[in-house]
Amino acid sequence: MLKTIRRRIAEEMTGAALPFVAFCIALNLTVGQITALLKIPLYLDSIGTVLVAVLVGPWSAIICGSFANLFASAFGSPTMMFFIPVVVVIGAFTGYLARRAWFRKWYLVVAGGILQGVLAAIVSAPISAYLFSGVMMAGTDFLVLYFRSMGNTLLNSVFYQGLASDPVDKLVTYLLVFFLTRSLPRRLISRLRGAANIQQSQSPA
Amino acid sequence: MAASIVVDRLSLQYSPEASRALAGISLNIPSGTCCAILGPTGAGKTTVLHAIAGVLGKHHPESISDGTITVAGHTYTPLPKTILFPSVALGLQDSYVQISGVRETVYDEVLFTLENLGESLEEGKSRIPPLLKELGIDHLANRRPTTLSGGETQRVALATILVARPEILLLDEPATALDLTAKERLQHILKSLRQRTTAVLTDTHVDLALSVADQIVVLHQGMILFNGTPKEFLGQMDRFTTVLPLKGWSRALQFMLPSSRQMSPSQLGLAERLGLL
Amino acid sequence: MRLDPSAKLAFVLLMWTCAFLLDWSVNLVLLLLLILARYLVPAYRPQSSRSRKSFDKFLAYGITIVVLLAGVNALFLQGGSVVFSVGGLDFHQEGLMFGVRTAARLLLLSVSILLFFASTPLPEFIHFLQLKGLPPQLVLVLLLTLHFLDQLPARIHQVFVAQEARGAPVRAGVVSRAQALFSVISPLVLSSIIESIDRGTALEVRGFLHKPVLASVPLPTERSASTLTLVFLALAICVLAFTVLRWLLAL
Repeated sequence: MLKTIRRRIAEEMTGAALPFVAFCIALNLTVGQITALLKIPLYLDSIGTVLVAVLVGPWSAIICGSFANLFASAFGSPTMMFFIPVVVVIGAFTGYLARRAWFRKWYLVVAGGILQGVLAAIVSAPISAYLFSGVMMAGTDFLVLYFRSMGNTLLNSVFYQGLASDPVDKLVTYLLVFFLTRSLPRRLISRLRGAANIQQSQSPA
Repeated sequence: MAASIVVDRLSLQYSPEASRALAGISLNIPSGTCCAILGPTGAGKTTVLHAIAGVLGKHHPESISDGTITVAGHTYTPLPKTILFPSVALGLQDSYVQISGVRETVYDEVLFTLENLGESLEEGKSRIPPLLKELGIDHLANRRPTTLSGGETQRVALATILVARPEILLLDEPATALDLTAKERLQHILKSLRQRTTAVLTDTHVDLALSVADQIVVLHQGMILFNGTPKEFLGQMDRFTTVLPLKGWSRALQFMLPSSRQMSPSQLGLAERLGLL
Repeated sequence: MRLDPSAKLAFVLLMWTCAFLLDWSVNLVLLLLLILARYLVPAYRPQSSRSRKSFDKFLAYGITIVVLLAGVNALFLQGGSVVFSVGGLDFHQEGLMFGVRTAARLLLLSVSILLFFASTPLPEFIHFLQLKGLPPQLVLVLLLTLHFLDQLPARIHQVFVAQEARGAPVRAGVVSRAQALFSVISPLVLSSIIESIDRGTALEVRGFLHKPVLASVPLPTERSASTLTLVFLALAICVLAFTVLRWLLAL
């Protein structure tokens, strides 16, 4: 099984894909600068992972997301390491949807984004609840506290907090990637393995 | 040891829907010589280099091509499907991109190439310092590659591929964004590489080509308009004013000729080389 | 003396084991020891001013937040007796203990990892992973990420200014700004794909993946480092065994 995984990763990670995955890891970590400049109240910190899932493949997306969380831990957000299972799910699920051509139609992208957000909330809830008792040292902790004070269990409170933000965040991420990838010249993205996953609106360059 | 390149009636389309990038071009570049391929943007110069290096065959399997390429004695019909490194070294248009960015010093950056070839540290120690000295960048060995000027980056990029001792050196627009001093240095380096390696370089301007090339090829819309010596090119220069920035060149040459006593050594060398004296 | 990253990682594992399995009071003591180690143990001194600031900033921020949350938990979770009252607000035992337990665990987990990264430069860590068998493609991805992380903030700023100059609604209402998001991200991604293709070609024409890559720079280590790795791992196993035994005895 390990050999199969290594083979799949090697198939996806060709020459041009390597720097692109590295760029997307850096994008995950710095997109907050863009949302801060534009004063948009969203994280979008998995945009790089979703881009890689669509343009390269699911295994590369898992690597992109995992390494991004590793770097985030190194740069002052140490708890991000524990949420690697969440990015694994994001990368795998998005890669699966991309292979099924969900990124060719806007309504499928919308559905996929919402589903992805719910899935992310489901996977992150137990990590947050059991490892950190719902405390992530962020403003959303007070939302968790609010749900708890209403009589919900810790796990449910964390899940509801995730549901309040993840679907919107992932939906916007998915839509951004959808419009981005449609506008890329085919001759460029043909060098990336996932080129068949998207439909260009322009004629080939 | 230098090797020859023979391109025989090479035609290429990147994809069935794309227009023709090369239209049955033929080139014969003897070993140890320097060939300059000139032409405007989109002429197909980079395509020729990438085809010879194996980049095109590897990364564009959907391309439609015809003809043959013979590189260092091996004939490919039509294109090499693998990167031919280290026999063929390719210098990209953007030197900054050629620098990997994964090594802290210039020395380690050049060593990265040898690591990829499975060479030892000791081999690196014997090859790299003399190479850096030859290229005039030995004083930069411990500098971060990302802090260098355009000309320095260009020479470091050259070092990263020359360290592999290629038989053929392909340089894509090596003089772009170089100032006059850096260009003269590059000319000197290319002249010193004669006999050791066969060089093919592309350019949109003629000055570098006229200084170093034994053979000049003018490419336009995938077709060869001229293939000959620099002297022959000068004699027919007026034909190419619509495809190359030659305005003022003829006049400059005419201006130079009567007053050879006032020329600088490099101008004299150029004029002698071009058979103008 | 510098510690092998594997010894430091084994120590992180030990701290994590303690964080989850031991009492909050032990965790608080360990936390204090870690904070002291940052200042007193040479192997754990931050390697750059950036990592030092990052560590100190996290510590200040983290401690403030958990104290705040412990207090808020004590207010909202009204179980057990009232521990103290301030201005008519009652702080309950259940919430306070929950806050303190969570804080101790969270901070121990976080500070142990942060201390590792603060005292181990990322290039050294990546090189260590390479020596331990991480495939060369992934090593390259990690190293290139550092390169892009250096460049991206400036590029983002450039693109933002350029888009603003051409009239993108970067300072208008939230819907317009959301639309402007695309016009900022799009040129970044497009230029990165172009650059990635060129970089990929540059790597291939320099023979990357031609043959297995050799490690060129040996890590600075002490001979005792590998012994320390085993010691830390053994201690982690002891903590686990102790917890299992305690649980069995309680049954």
